[in-house]
Amino acid sequence: MIRIDRSIILQIINFVALVLLLFRFLFKPVVRALDQRSQFIRGELQKIEDEKKNLEATKRALEEEAARAKEKYLEIMDQAKLEASRIKEGIIREAYEEGEKIKNEYRRKARKEMEELLSGLREDIVELTEEVVKKFLATQITPEVQTRLIDVFLEEALRELKAQVEAIHER
Amino acid sequence: MSDEVVRVVTPFPLTEAQRALIQAKMERFLDGSSFSLQEEIDESLIGGVVVFVRDLIIDCSIRTQLEKIKEHVLKGGLK
Repeated sequence: MIRIDRSIILQIINFVALVLLLFRFLFKPVVRALDQRSQFIRGELQKIEDEKKNLEATKRALEEEAARAKEKYLEIMDQAKLEASRIKEGIIREAYEEGEKIKNEYRRKARKEMEELLSGLREDIVELTEEVVKKFLATQITPEVQTRLIDVFLEEALRELKAQVEAIHER
Repeated sequence: MSDEVVRVVTPFPLTEAQRALIQAKMERFLDGSSFSLQEEIDESLIGGVVVFVRDLIIDCSIRTQLEKIKEHVLKGGLK
């Protein structure tokens, strides 16, 4: 016959009571606390995920902004190059025109100086020739030549004068 | 008595022949009016004669001819 010790039954009852108490006062709060903790962690993870998404969106926005800025920079650079090219061409054209102006001015001055020089030279030559011719003629005017000069030149001059006077009278 | 004076300028003193020549020509020019010659010497004339009669100057001097040629050349007449 099986003999059941009373103390074992009490121990079982105590154990069951302990388990019930533990379940009621320990296990449930721990589980609740763990749930809360788990929810908190999930919330934090969600926040991190959201933050990460925000950061990625910000990164994309910044990258787009950087791309637009680069595009704008390239556009400005192109315009600047065009403008620089126009300015360069303008400066070259102005310099060329200025050079042409200076060149023409120098040509004009050189031509004027040359003309003045030639004019002076011509005057000098004419003066010199006149002197030589005068001296030469002075040696050639003999009384006979002088008589001939008077005869021919005076005759011709008087005839012309007479003709002019007659023409005036006829009018 | 002479009514008019005809001034005759020459580079040398006139010879008799030259004087007679001038006188004959001027008589013809003045249609026989009486005049007297007033002779002057100007060596710068080189040759020929300059006659001043009434208000006329008849310049037949070599000097004037040379000056005309000179003026013509200086104006670019000869190139």
